[in-house]
Amino acid sequence: MSTSSVDEIPDQSKDLFTQDGVLLKNCVGRPVTDLNSIGMLCIVQNADGTKCVEWRPNDLITIDSDTQDQEWAVVNTVGRRQRTLSGNMTSDYATLRARIIKIPLEELKTFKVTRNNQQMQFSTKQGVWQTTFYFQHGNAEIFVAYLKNHVKTAKTRHDRNTYVVVEPNVESQVLNRSFAELDIFTENTTDVVWNLVSNFKQRPYETTLEAFSKLTDIVYYGNEGLNGKRDVSEEVADLLTKSMSAMEDATTITKNEEYEVVSVKPTLPPRPCIPRGTPLSTEKWDALQDKDGRITEVEGVKQLIFRGGVAHSIRQSVWKHLLDYYPWQMSHSEIRAHQKKKTEEYFSMKLQWRSMTEGQESRFSEYRDRKSLVEKDVNRTDRTHPFYAGDNNPNLVVLQDILMTYVMYNFDLGYVQGMSDILAPLLLLLGNEVDSFWCFVGFMEKIASNFDMDQAGMKHQLLQLQQLLMFASPDLAQHLAQKDSGNMYFCFRWLLVWFKREFSHIDIMRLWEVLWTGLPCANFHLLICVAILDAEKDVLISKDYGFTEILKHVNDLSMSLDVDRILSTAEGIYHQIVSAPHLNDQIRIILGMEPLNMANSAHSGNSDRQEAGTSRTQTNGNETRTNGNEHTGPFGQDIDEVMYQIGLDMNF
Amino acid sequence: MAKTYDYLFKLLLIGDSGVGKTSILFRFSEDAFNISFISTIGIDFKIRTIDLDGKKVKLQIWDTAGQERFRTITTAYYRGSMGIMLVYDVTNEKSFENIKNWIRNIEENASADVEKMILGNKCDLDSKRQVSKERGEQLAIEYQIKFVETSAKDSLNVEYAFYTLARDIKAKMEKKQEASNPPGGRSGAHQLKANEPQRKPTSWLSRCSVL
Repeated sequence: MSTSSVDEIPDQSKDLFTQDGVLLKNCVGRPVTDLNSIGMLCIVQNADGTKCVEWRPNDLITIDSDTQDQEWAVVNTVGRRQRTLSGNMTSDYATLRARIIKIPLEELKTFKVTRNNQQMQFSTKQGVWQTTFYFQHGNAEIFVAYLKNHVKTAKTRHDRNTYVVVEPNVESQVLNRSFAELDIFTENTTDVVWNLVSNFKQRPYETTLEAFSKLTDIVYYGNEGLNGKRDVSEEVADLLTKSMSAMEDATTITKNEEYEVVSVKPTLPPRPCIPRGTPLSTEKWDALQDKDGRITEVEGVKQLIFRGGVAHSIRQSVWKHLLDYYPWQMSHSEIRAHQKKKTEEYFSMKLQWRSMTEGQESRFSEYRDRKSLVEKDVNRTDRTHPFYAGDNNPNLVVLQDILMTYVMYNFDLGYVQGMSDILAPLLLLLGNEVDSFWCFVGFMEKIASNFDMDQAGMKHQLLQLQQLLMFASPDLAQHLAQKDSGNMYFCFRWLLVWFKREFSHIDIMRLWEVLWTGLPCANFHLLICVAILDAEKDVLISKDYGFTEILKHVNDLSMSLDVDRILSTAEGIYHQIVSAPHLNDQIRIILGMEPLNMANSAHSGNSDRQEAGTSRTQTNGNETRTNGNEHTGPFGQDIDEVMYQIGLDMNF
Repeated sequence: MAKTYDYLFKLLLIGDSGVGKTSILFRFSEDAFNISFISTIGIDFKIRTIDLDGKKVKLQIWDTAGQERFRTITTAYYRGSMGIMLVYDVTNEKSFENIKNWIRNIEENASADVEKMILGNKCDLDSKRQVSKERGEQLAIEYQIKFVETSAKDSLNVEYAFYTLARDIKAKMEKKQEASNPPGGRSGAHQLKANEPQRKPTSWLSRCSVL
């Protein structure tokens, strides 16, 4: 065995530490044949002074006889360990060299030791453990001890075995720089980071909007354990590790080669507790109208209603505006004219079916089918409520007349089960056939897609709900998926009739008027679902509820839900989502926000992004709502396309 | 946890909107009837454990929305059902005619060897009757499915219907069990249950390929 001199090695690198008996278990991008081969793991200093972790397969190297029986050797004090090359440097050698794995320390982000010191994993990229080594001798901790001489690391409380490289990690420098650029920092970084993080607890969104909106880099942060001062590196380490471990949970190993990130579930900022307001009062409502009865501050009115609902005494008038029967800007006299016109229109449509003879009806099966469905459902709509109770109740006749007239108004849609549930509270409140009809039309505009023949609208919403839940409550979303409930079908009733079956009459009026405002974002009703489910999360998961139990549990929540608490929670979740640094376009689109990719290529730039979650969002959400068609927003085509594709992936 | 039953059967109630599926289920599970029922949106189920030839049989009975529009959602719950009640309303011709469509729907979405039974409900409303008992029987013969007229309101034949369906499922199950197990085999309800879904694709697919 001939020993070649150090100088003959083409590169001028130096092994600082080597560990034998290390198998390559996994490496992204490597062929399977490279895996499970035994080799040596080293810490190497390159000619230019940079360092890397390097693994070389054994058939490339042989060990000097004098150290052959050693499991490892410390070399950083004795200089370069000699390499012994068997044979000459031929093309074989080049091939072998290609199998060397190098992980530059300046790119290393995190590493961890698992399986009782037998396994070590490295990552240079968020979310992917790219390389995994198996230490035959179960002594990975020793390699770690030496590696820590060359990189500054921080352990985390969450996972004692995971180390995050805080220097010279590029990412953390960027992170520090970003923090530094926020002018709020006058003290040292440790205090600054601590203050920022602790501020989340006291003033979650102010802090978020002030500080984090300025960050362009993705920063993950935890939402717990904020009591007590901690070392900044540990703090940052925690944040990064949390994202790593979260991602690892969502990581699957494809059979032969690589790790593949399936999804990412970093934590959301803490949930702000947002108190509900008082209902819009008669006095305020009067004050909001000018002397002719016009309402100009529509957004302001909607804000008030969103915050506290509407006092019952003025619901009759306010609802007509909210449901687009009375345009906000109309004066009293204009409204009177408008009402007259709408009344005539209603009765002409009513006459169409009222004048149908038995003979006509017998030759008109599509009409007959619709009529039969209406009759069946009217007789079983809210019959326990005094307004609809008892035999020969005249209000049932009105209910039926309105639904039959709606059949003529929109014959293609016709009557679909659930519509009587939507109408009943409107008629109950308004008491007037014509007003109730037009308010019903306005409500149906908002939820028409719920009644699609192919149920595409419902499936679309259930999918969006699943996506929101995955973002806001990933543990629960994953549990549901595991239990064959990922399609969220158990929420079908909630969505179809906007929770009508889940709340009392009093509460459903409150919930609906809040939802009609279209605030604070599009699809807020989906966040209501998320809020209800999130409150049940512990039960659903801890009791390990399966497919049937989930459905039963959710169905049984009916009439036991607190509407104000749920509204408050849903709003809190909304703020959590929009202030999350990892908020993505998929979620932004669901909430009616402009997707970032689009915004960059189009007119708006960074300033728009900062306003995410404030007025701009609301306007978008609103526009989407009042158009009454969630598929045709300013970016309609793309939503459809994206959603269609996702739908395909979900096997819808 | 101690098992409180020997068998668990998943049953399904299907049929047009308003034929009385929920009322039948309510009669069977609560032995009650309420004139002012609300329409079923989505899906729900109820449980009742019955005693059948000395065995405790837990029936998990699924109730579905009847309107055709919701079928894409409700059929998702057909999977794994071992018995299906096809319900029509004797006072509604259309609901009777639609039984054929519902049978086709089952063939497409449920396990091929699912036990079926046809129920002609609301037989108490004789003055409004549109479908005679004979026509119901004729249809049942045509499809070789058991048939009975019921009244959830008067509690007529509801118990009988569920017991009959459950007994047929149990018999079929035990027959299969005997065939697959040598004599002296233990109670294998769960074992059989586990086999059930696997059988479905083969029988269903083979039918497709014939077509």
